[in-house]
Amino acid sequence: MKFGDIARKRLHILPLIAAFLALFAVPQTALAAAAQGAGTSAVASVADAQSPNVADDTAAPAAAAEGSTPAAATSETPGYTPLGPEMIKGQPEPGGIGFQPQYSDNGQWALWMHNAFLLPMMVGVSLLVLVLLLWVIARYNRRAHPVPSKTSHNTAIEVIWTVVPVLILVAIAVPSISLLARQYESPPEDALTVKVTGYQWYWGYTYPDNGGFEVISNMLPEEEALARGEPPQLAADNRIVVPVGEPLRIQVTAADVIHSFAVPSLWFKIDAVPGRINERLLTIKEPGIYYGQCSELCGARHAYMPIALEAVPREQFEAWVLSKGGTLGAAEAAAEPAAAPLQEPESSVEGAPGAGAAPATAPAA
Amino acid sequence: MATTADTFQAHAEEHHHDADHKPGFFARWFMSTNHKDIGTLYLIFSIFAGVIGGAISGLMRLELEQPGIQILGQVSMWLNGSADFDQMLHTWNVLITAHGLIMVFFVVMPATMGGFANWFVPLMIGAPDMAFPRMNNVAFWLTAAAFVSLLFSTVSPGGTGTGAGIGWTAYAPLATSGSVGSAVDFAIFALHLAGAASIMSSINFITTIFNMRAPGMTLHKMPLFVWSVLVTAFLLVLALPVLAAAITMLLTDRNFGTTFFDASGGGDPILYQHLFWFFGHPEVYIMILPGFGMISQIVATFSRKPVFGYLGMAYAMVAIGVVGFIVWAHHMFTVGLDVNTKMYFTAATMVIAVPTGIKIFSWIATMWGGSMEFKSPMVWALGFIFLFTVGGVTGVVLANGGVDDNLHDTYYVVAHFHYVLSLGAVFSLFAGFYYWFPKMSGRMHSELLSHLHFWTFFIGVNVIFFPQHFLGMQGMPRRYPDYTPAYQYWNEISTYGYYIMAASMLFFFANMLYAFLAGKKAPANYWGEGATTLEWSLPSPPPYHQFETLPVIEDHHSHHDAIGPKGAASAH
Amino acid sequence: MASVALARKNRRVGLIALCASLAMLGLGFAAVPLYDLFCRVTGFAGTTRVATEADAARAAELSAGAPTISIRFDANVARDMPWEFRPRQVTDRVQFGQRDMAIFEAKNHSSVPVTGTASFNVEPEQAGKYFNKIQCFCFTEQTLQPGQQVTMPVLYFVDPKALDDPNMKGVEQITLSYTFHRTR
Repeated sequence: MKFGDIARKRLHILPLIAAFLALFAVPQTALAAAAQGAGTSAVASVADAQSPNVADDTAAPAAAAEGSTPAAATSETPGYTPLGPEMIKGQPEPGGIGFQPQYSDNGQWALWMHNAFLLPMMVGVSLLVLVLLLWVIARYNRRAHPVPSKTSHNTAIEVIWTVVPVLILVAIAVPSISLLARQYESPPEDALTVKVTGYQWYWGYTYPDNGGFEVISNMLPEEEALARGEPPQLAADNRIVVPVGEPLRIQVTAADVIHSFAVPSLWFKIDAVPGRINERLLTIKEPGIYYGQCSELCGARHAYMPIALEAVPREQFEAWVLSKGGTLGAAEAAAEPAAAPLQEPESSVEGAPGAGAAPATAPAA
Repeated sequence: MATTADTFQAHAEEHHHDADHKPGFFARWFMSTNHKDIGTLYLIFSIFAGVIGGAISGLMRLELEQPGIQILGQVSMWLNGSADFDQMLHTWNVLITAHGLIMVFFVVMPATMGGFANWFVPLMIGAPDMAFPRMNNVAFWLTAAAFVSLLFSTVSPGGTGTGAGIGWTAYAPLATSGSVGSAVDFAIFALHLAGAASIMSSINFITTIFNMRAPGMTLHKMPLFVWSVLVTAFLLVLALPVLAAAITMLLTDRNFGTTFFDASGGGDPILYQHLFWFFGHPEVYIMILPGFGMISQIVATFSRKPVFGYLGMAYAMVAIGVVGFIVWAHHMFTVGLDVNTKMYFTAATMVIAVPTGIKIFSWIATMWGGSMEFKSPMVWALGFIFLFTVGGVTGVVLANGGVDDNLHDTYYVVAHFHYVLSLGAVFSLFAGFYYWFPKMSGRMHSELLSHLHFWTFFIGVNVIFFPQHFLGMQGMPRRYPDYTPAYQYWNEISTYGYYIMAASMLFFFANMLYAFLAGKKAPANYWGEGATTLEWSLPSPPPYHQFETLPVIEDHHSHHDAIGPKGAASAH
Repeated sequence: MASVALARKNRRVGLIALCASLAMLGLGFAAVPLYDLFCRVTGFAGTTRVATEADAARAAELSAGAPTISIRFDANVARDMPWEFRPRQVTDRVQFGQRDMAIFEAKNHSSVPVTGTASFNVEPEQAGKYFNKIQCFCFTEQTLQPGQQVTMPVLYFVDPKALDDPNMKGVEQITLSYTFHRTR
């Protein structure tokens, strides 16, 4: 049957996967090491954007070195170069059996909770039931035990199997509740705000603190994604670009039907509901590209509106904002009423490009 | 002991002299008021719908075997007559919608509440028939009409393409302003009819169980299957009307300009989700509770022991039913709930694990010290207990609102609810089917084929659904016809599992064929002394009208000694 | 006759069950106003409150020495709405209890008069019950003639009671969001 095929196919895919992983592991470990050093300092130094952090130093040359990729080569905005495929961090891994690596504090916490509490509970309970079943099958079958007992009550054991699960659940509830509390921490006043709008079937990213421009993000066609070294179905023409290491106020809404903004590697998912805004705090620990997909059935092209999030150091983010025609110094600008320009209404036009042509759309245009 | 009562004549005086006098074919099968015939109709209907729903899952697995679009073009050609990109994708949404609705409303519910409950609740409580036999008939034909309406919806215009592509949850505004055309209206109408039918049959069960138990059959002596049906009937009576209200408002929002769920008129699309899941969460217990009941009967029968902790088992089901009404928003964890609401629903949801755990452990304790015989119903029941546990523990994971942020609407959820429903409810259906098939048909099925069916099915469904946990943890969203190549590995394996499962169903149909063509005649109690409930005191199949003189249930120490060791015929 | 008695008993239980299900049906429909009321009373889902001048005056009395909080204004239009709609100021700072006015601007880009209704909520959601609107364009439908541009004021205050609510700890900014939908 087909199993021979699978076996053969898998066997020759395995070395490929290994090679692929190795290819990834090298820059990633280097970066992780660098970012780890930067991690603490980056958060602390958010206020003064001047202080360069280590991750930035490693990321910038890396991006420059990969300047030969089509995406970067055709970039028409000299001020900003999008991250190349070597910076992809949040994406599924072929044949992966666990969660994606986490790049936000809450994500790492949740992952730890899953691995430390939930996974042992799942394995433990399933194995316990399996072992008990196998035991009764082996011990109390008709041949081994021809005369059944008539026991149908045992208060002690009934109390035990009520109380022990309760205790286990309480043990799970404690980290679970604190995880929720962490996820619902309010973003600080000066957190950068990005408004995500779900449309049938693309995303719009508005930066109200930076002049209110909106970037429209459509899925890249498969050939285009492959040409850029990005995963098909996940790559988008314009990414949502955010500064790394600082708190972000992500506000999510929708213009037509319900969508859901989800990035698995950041443990982030919030529905985009028309007529209301949802808000969550998000802090990304490392520069990189993080993919997600719409996670609420929204019609025909539900599977074709990916989320590509690009986290870059503050100054690169600012360069990107300027390349989009946005402004900097949000807090001060906001105080003056006239400084906030009209929110571009082109979001209501199907497939309209966002304000300021994205570097990524250049080859397609 | 089943002894006869000298008072209390059963109904149907006209059949007094010949309990097995049957009406003609048309009158018997189309105007039937006999609970056994109606139960048979429901079972046939459920198998028929199951073949369609299973075929649709086959199309879905074929589509997902590789990245890219595989067979949706072909399916779109059947439905739309053409296959542009959006039509193909819309066709996918039609498939998932139809699969969900068919499996929930036209396979599991008709089989458990329609088929087995109709057949065996009156037999187990010693009643001659249901309380409202005509309403029973109406309920069945409404279910059939609902199914026709649902099938009609798949060939009606639905906006982007033919059919309703809204998911079984039919969230507004996708199901209102997001889908023009009559397809969604037909789907909603199907739910109305199926809901009305289920409410009717539930009222029937409640009345029958409260009023028509044989003398001596107190509530606390009822077999657990009857308990499970009673709890389920209550859930249906209380939950389904809320769905009816919600989808009625959906219908008026679509057609009559109301704005219940439309923000443009002051409505709120989130309210629809609250209403839907207020129904939807009890609905999942509606699907599994009768299965719990059947598993209890089967485990006791084949362990030759009374059920361990009978009262705990009965009230665990009541507890599950009650708690089931106050946990609905865990289906809406990402919708934008505030932190306190999410904490409450996290905690409340985890509570359900306690009565469920009591049931699992009580089944094991029933087998403990027993004398187990691994006949076909028992192997399915054992499979059920293990697989339901696996589905249960992933449920505890999903109950955590913070963890659910990553898993919500991914394949992890798909894997979870298929473990408890496709592997839970469906395993209990097969267990019940093999348990009672000879009783219903009078013919023994083949144990060999049943065991082959079990093992191949067990392997098949696990190969389908276990890898879907991995896909979900890796982030693959549900309701996707196409995916990035990284998801291919486990999707392909999952599809191979479907092939195994589909092949396994051949054993089932071969078994039925064998039973009807060459099956041995079934004695009254073919499972031996472990089978103690009242239906085993009757011949197989039971006479057209049973218990014209009601059996009297004498007081025994055990709850499952209704007919006692010398009761009626023995299998040996 | 026993069977007659049974039939009567059955009818009674059946009717009770039917009534229960009809009651649930009624509850299903009643959920629409009840949910609305629930949201208004508890601020659930970030629903704001409507305050009278008297309420505002009472709150103002409490505001002496109260700290300030940042308010963010957000404006959206539904997909089928041919309007441009934006806040004049992205953020603002107000003292707890003091009333403030926010201005939104709307313009009809189409060649026909268009009537719109605004839906709204605040984030974080627990701020809903402390966010009081004295006057708002969202209380009524708004009609804009072709090409017409208007400014729409919101008169609001944040209840100083929020300062005593542990759920409001750490909330540094409240976002007030509006979405204009085309009235059908």
